[in-house]
Amino acid sequence: MGVTCVCQVPVAEGKSVQQTVDQLHKKLEQLGAVKQGSFFVDCETYHATGNASGQPSKLLYVMHNSETPLSCMALFEGGPYLTADANFDVLMVKLKSHFQNAKGHKVESRGARYRYCDFLVKVGTVTMSSSARGISVEVEYCACVVPGDCWNLMKEFMQSFLGSNVPEIPSVFTSKPEGLFAPADCMDTMSQYLELFSKVRKQQVLPGSSVR
Amino acid sequence: MPLRIDVTCAPALTVGEIMADVMNVGVNLEAFSQAINAIQALRSSVTRVFDSLKDGMKNKETLEGREKAFIAEFQDNLQSVNRDLTELERLSNLVGRPSESHPLHNSGLLSLDPVQDKTPLYSQLLQAYKWSNKLQYHAGLASSLLNQQSLKRSANQIGASAKRRPKVQPSTLVLPIQYVDDVISRIGRMFPDMSIELFRPNGTSAVLLVTLGKVLKAIVVMRSLFIDRTIVRGYHENVHSEDGKLDIWSKSNYQVFQKVTDHATTALLHYQLPQMPDVVVRSFMTWLRSYIKLFQTPCQRCGKFLQDGLPPTWRDFRTLEAFHDTCRQ
Ligand SMILES: [Zn+2]
Repeated sequence: MGVTCVCQVPVAEGKSVQQTVDQLHKKLEQLGAVKQGSFFVDCETYHATGNASGQPSKLLYVMHNSETPLSCMALFEGGPYLTADANFDVLMVKLKSHFQNAKGHKVESRGARYRYCDFLVKVGTVTMSSSARGISVEVEYCACVVPGDCWNLMKEFMQSFLGSNVPEIPSVFTSKPEGLFAPADCMDTMSQYLELFSKVRKQQVLPGSSVR
Repeated sequence: MPLRIDVTCAPALTVGEIMADVMNVGVNLEAFSQAINAIQALRSSVTRVFDSLKDGMKNKETLEGREKAFIAEFQDNLQSVNRDLTELERLSNLVGRPSESHPLHNSGLLSLDPVQDKTPLYSQLLQAYKWSNKLQYHAGLASSLLNQQSLKRSANQIGASAKRRPKVQPSTLVLPIQYVDDVISRIGRMFPDMSIELFRPNGTSAVLLVTLGKVLKAIVVMRSLFIDRTIVRGYHENVHSEDGKLDIWSKSNYQVFQKVTDHATTALLHYQLPQMPDVVVRSFMTWLRSYIKLFQTPCQRCGKFLQDGLPPTWRDFRTLEAFHDTCRQ
């Protein structure tokens, strides 16, 4: 697993989400990227119940990623993060007296997966309650494991199809001490998606952006 | 009376050999067949000499008579030998000399071997001759080229190491294991950001696993102190195969490291100095170490990080500057 950057791409002016996504696909294909299947990342939100001590309850996010189909990631707001087997979902059902599923908060991003040289690009439509809320772009540079080493290189690549929408280095990386090293699991990626999803959740529903 | 035994040497030539020369040179055939007859005559007269000697004196009434008759017969026989020999010498002047211009000298006569089809000795001989000529020629060229080739980067170190070790034997393929270990560990200490582990999975030949920062891993297969081949993979890629052995064959999954592997192989061919294999290994490792900033250095020519999705994978052999493969010269 290389270095991954997840960012939100604004919908182009006067265009729908789908049209903007199509535009991105076209740019990637012009670069020479090859479509390689599809992907999804989803996230469900749980509230802790029965909070006897009176402390403000933390949110628990349970996420899935099609890159790791046998795993399920559970992220507490502000940590800790854990990776579990896929049947962690079943456990959550059993724990419903402690964690309540916040219905209608499920967010997911689905879309096409492109390969370009040692880069992996995933352009996803972010949906919440079956309405399209935005566009996510995940870029992974698979050959390198040190974010600080390859960030400029990734930025140059993202510029080639995102133009001015290139993000700053993700905070997951900057907050780490020197000798940055992306671990073998995809937790850094998931926390970036989580950040993106919570931004999207707070966003206004885009007019006329219903999908399916 | 002196007996000229050496006359028997001439008849020892076989007819076949002489025929061969005739066909080769195209000499006077008439004289040749006469010469063959002369040889036969000479042989029989020589035989007569020895026959009469073997038979001894013939029975005569007086001892004196016996001796006289024997000596007379012996003289007759010798005279006929002399006559036949003179005749042969005369004829041999007419025949002409066998060809001496044949490039393979007498071995050229092999081409006339009638059993050629069964034992293609002659064509094999020619082939071998050609090969050995070529080999000598190429070896000469190679040796003059290799002697010109000086490693400018390490030129200052050559003197020092040459003083320390007076002479490296040309047969550097049989360096002692301990010496190889020492050279490698000395190189390992030179570069703190580069770790070199030495394995000997198959006998005496060493395999090095070079880990460069958190950028790449290189497997370097050695033969004594010569680098045989090298393969470069990503830092997070497997260097061991499933059975736990070092995997010295599979190429990297990433295009960037496949490219670096190609360039590293080129570097192996570039850094050559047969007399000082340790300098070669050190130069190669110095070059390889310049990949520590593989993902951080833009191309020195076009100033960009990426070209066709790849970072600058080429490192100049002299300056170690980074270039895209297509941006170098
Ligand atoms: Zn360039």
